Amino acid sequence: MTKNNNNKLKIGIYELTGCAGDALLILDCEKELVDIFQAADIQSFLMAKSDNIDGELDIALVEGSVSTEKEKKEILDIRKRAKTVVAIGICACFGGIQAAFLDEKEWEANFKEVYGNIKMKHTKPVQSKPIDEYIKVDYYLPGCPIDKEQFLSTLNRILRGNPPELYRFSVCVECKWNENDCLLNKDIPCLGPITRAGCGSICINHNLPCVGCWGPVEEANIASEFQLLREKGFDHDFIKKKMANFSGTGMADFFGKLKGEKG
Amino acid sequence: MNGENKQLTISNPFLPEPARIVRTYYLTEDVKFFQVRVVDMDKALSFKYCPGQFAMISVVGAGEAPFSISSTPSRPGLLEFCIRKVGGVTNALFRMKENDLIGIRGPYGNGFPVERMRDKDILIVVGGLGTAPLRSVLLYCLDNRDQFRRVSLLHGAKRPSEMIFREEFFALKEREDLECHLAVDGDDTGTWTENIGVVTTLFPKLKEIDPSSTYALVCGPPVMYKFVIKEFVKLNIPKDQILMTLERRMKCGVGKCGHCAIDYIYTCLDGPVFTYWDVIHMRELI
Amino acid sequence: MRIIKLKKDNLFPFLEIISEEADLWAPVKKGDKHAFTIIDDLSKIELETTRTIIPPKKIFTPPTFSMFSISDKGYKEDFSHITKKILFGIHPCDIHGLLTLDSFFKQAYLDPYYLEARKNTLILGLSCWPDEYCFAKSTHTHVIEEGFDLFFTDLKDFFLVWIGSSQGDDLIRLKPELFDEGLKDQDIQTYINWQAERDNAYKWNIKFIALPDLMELKYRDPLWEKLGDACLACGSCSNVCPTCNCYNIMDKQFLGGKDGKIIRHWDACTLEEYSEVAGGENFRKKRSDRLKLWYTHKLQAYISKYGKPSCVGCGRCIATCPVDINVRTVGQALLGEKPDAFWARFNKEVTK
Ligand SMILES: Cc1cc2nc3c(=O)[nH]c(=O)nc-3n(C[C@H](O)[C@H](O)[C@H](O)COP(=O)(O)OP(=O)(O)OC[C@H]3O[C@@H](n4cnc5c(N)ncnc54)[C@H](O)[C@@H]3O)c2cc1C
Ligand code: SF4
Ligand code: SF4
Ligand code: SF4
Ligand code: SF4
Ligand code: FES
Repeated sequence: MTKNNNNKLKIGIYELTGCAGDALLILDCEKELVDIFQAADIQSFLMAKSDNIDGELDIALVEGSVSTEKEKKEILDIRKRAKTVVAIGICACFGGIQAAFLDEKEWEANFKEVYGNIKMKHTKPVQSKPIDEYIKVDYYLPGCPIDKEQFLSTLNRILRGNPPELYRFSVCVECKWNENDCLLNKDIPCLGPITRAGCGSICINHNLPCVGCWGPVEEANIASEFQLLREKGFDHDFIKKKMANFSGTGMADFFGKLKGEKG
Repeated sequence: MNGENKQLTISNPFLPEPARIVRTYYLTEDVKFFQVRVVDMDKALSFKYCPGQFAMISVVGAGEAPFSISSTPSRPGLLEFCIRKVGGVTNALFRMKENDLIGIRGPYGNGFPVERMRDKDILIVVGGLGTAPLRSVLLYCLDNRDQFRRVSLLHGAKRPSEMIFREEFFALKEREDLECHLAVDGDDTGTWTENIGVVTTLFPKLKEIDPSSTYALVCGPPVMYKFVIKEFVKLNIPKDQILMTLERRMKCGVGKCGHCAIDYIYTCLDGPVFTYWDVIHMRELI
Repeated sequence: MRIIKLKKDNLFPFLEIISEEADLWAPVKKGDKHAFTIIDDLSKIELETTRTIIPPKKIFTPPTFSMFSISDKGYKEDFSHITKKILFGIHPCDIHGLLTLDSFFKQAYLDPYYLEARKNTLILGLSCWPDEYCFAKSTHTHVIEEGFDLFFTDLKDFFLVWIGSSQGDDLIRLKPELFDEGLKDQDIQTYINWQAERDNAYKWNIKFIALPDLMELKYRDPLWEKLGDACLACGSCSNVCPTCNCYNIMDKQFLGGKDGKIIRHWDACTLEEYSEVAGGENFRKKRSDRLKLWYTHKLQAYISKYGKPSCVGCGRCIATCPVDINVRTVGQALLGEKPDAFWARFNKEVTK
């Protein structure tokens, strides 16, 4: 990696469409923030500083999903300038809650329902999509918001040139580590089995079912989870809505193919 | 009791020993050679291994991974490895320079049964990175040349530039007491003077062998095993004299983490060297 | 082995005294289930429990813990999670589970983390009464002859206490007046009756003796594909099983020159990443292949190596797997019975 005269890696932090929760979390790392600024040369971070430079970068951390034409251009530009692009937060990784609608038609209908027939002046809205719909992403750091410790250790590994090490299994694993009684077995619709771990199963620790906010796990067995919830008496639309909430475009595939479901 | 300053009564098999990279250079585009020395002199000399065993190498912050030892115990003090760049640990290793420190622990695994192989004919077939463990046996046989009968080597690579230890093997070709045939799948240099074709095409070049007193060793990419073993069987080499080393995911190397398990066999303890007989009798092996 | 008697009312005073020697751990309520926790209030201890959600292995090899702290200077061993403990209320099947783990963590090399924790923990067993999931009688793990320092058999008005080690004896000596040395004939008869009654209380059993061969014979049975379709790859079965020992390692580093850690955390062979090697090659890409390994381990492999199954009949996988893949349903299916499990009803069309 090229280093500037301070011999520090150049980093840019960008927010697209999202709640900026992840950027806030980064700001919230008060003590560690000093370390971050010491370890790296932050070239651009709208939320934290004003003298942002848009030049070549070693690492770009991108938060939020792409939901306008302007953002589409922006993300392509970031990719061009950055050697390594890291998607941070559920929105950037999987589209997040804005990408919950399953196909273009449904999205249009919904957009009309909410905004009527207004024309957007500044920039044309496009369906909200995860950034890897437009560019190659090197590393993903999901979460809603991201977990502080995981963010710091991931950033640290990337700064040292090592790929991040994230859990590749589902929330259930952490849930068992925390010795929770499984909610699915009590007929509560928990999405833990199809959701990526990393949150520390925080919802279930508080007796709430997992809603999937870390996005789908690599090997999500959506079919089995779907059928299990059907057996427990939840209806098709309820399950579809629940699953689509955070996992965004990824779930569309499954429901698109689910033509032959028997009652 | 205070947990932190407790005296431990058993030694910790997970604790890496600091070792220094003495020499490192590229063998091919994505394979590097590493020569390392355990820093503590006593420990360096007491690192007793046998060909076919492996060690766990670690880089602080990047992790730990298993690598075959490719030097020979007949030349103690220095350990040698050839490592292909594929992921976290190997990338970190590739960034390291001579004199840098790494962690090492081992040796682990069963290794080749050199005692049983004594006074027998040795036939070694390697492809690609399979050279790593088999170079150890080969050098061991050559260093103790009077303990073995005929030693033959068939070595295949995709292209000349991908032949690991190319120069070393060309030099070995000159030895009278070693039968050595080299092949590449394809020659993109136009200067290759040896055979062209996959490694199995070298079998007809072998001088006649005495199967019942031959140990046949193979290591290479997974696709190679089936075809090479077929040749061994054709030559009538007994199944329990056909030896191969297998790869599995390994996180501890000492039979604890479970990752290398096949049925109730732990590849890190009972392997990585298996006989063809083992393979036939165990599901999942290859 | 010496057996003495303890009046019911004397149990808590005894636990009170020994809890001054080391941290006392025992089962307490967690939701509708139970969990081993450190005890600060004796009244929270539940004597009438069946299984805890996860087994006591968590005390000897916690779900995640730091093995080393790392800095640029190298590695420093970290045993800070190990403290002196007394574990009260562990049932025979779970003690068998620990004995099985011992054989894993002692094979070829000694695992200092597990063995240190083991050495620092006294085992005070407690008898139990089976519920609809328990089948320890089938695995012959409902009785225990070794592996404890003290063992309490609950006979309603009093306990019979087996003294299994000299450390157990030391605990008794802290307050010997709480115990009765002389057993009356009637006490012995009470015990005999209790034993017979309890033996009859097991609601189901499984013919374990047939399973190793059936694992081999039905290794390519379509059953496994069905199980694989339904399995959520959630890893819960391994996490709750008292004899699953697998783990993974992670290097955790932090910014600003702070020491990093080598973290060891529970892993499970039902997870996709488990058998993956460099280059993305996976020896068990299919969930069905991973379940085969799991059941080979529980029903077959350990038997051929140690002469007994590594399943100790605790029933946790039965109580835990959301899609009904467990030793009971799989065992039944191997034996040719038709279980009415989730996966047997699994709608194929959903997977298309
Ligand atoms: C007995 C034995 C002997 C061996 N001998 C040699 C030898 O002599 N030379 C040699 O070069 N190799 C050898 N190997 C193989 C070597 O151990 C592996 O190449 C090594 O483990 C790779 O480690 P790594 O950290 O660089 O790769 P990893 O980072 O573990 O990843 C390798 C690949 O796995 C996938 N992957 C793994 N984890 C993740 C993750 N968290 N996220 C995303 N993708 C992931 C990726 O596709 C990645 O490219 C041997 C293996 C064994 C078992
Ligand atoms: S409660 Fe949810 S996350 Fe926890 S084990 Fe059950 S399904 Fe998985
Ligand atoms: S068998 Fe059940 S508990 Fe085990 S991984 Fe599969 S779904 Fe989870
Ligand atoms: S396989 Fe199931 S019943 Fe057997 S010991 Fe493990 S969790 Fe308990
Ligand atoms: S069943 Fe799986 S998780 Fe359990 S010990 Fe065996 S390999 Fe490990
Ligand atoms: S590598 Fe851990 S058990 Fe073999």
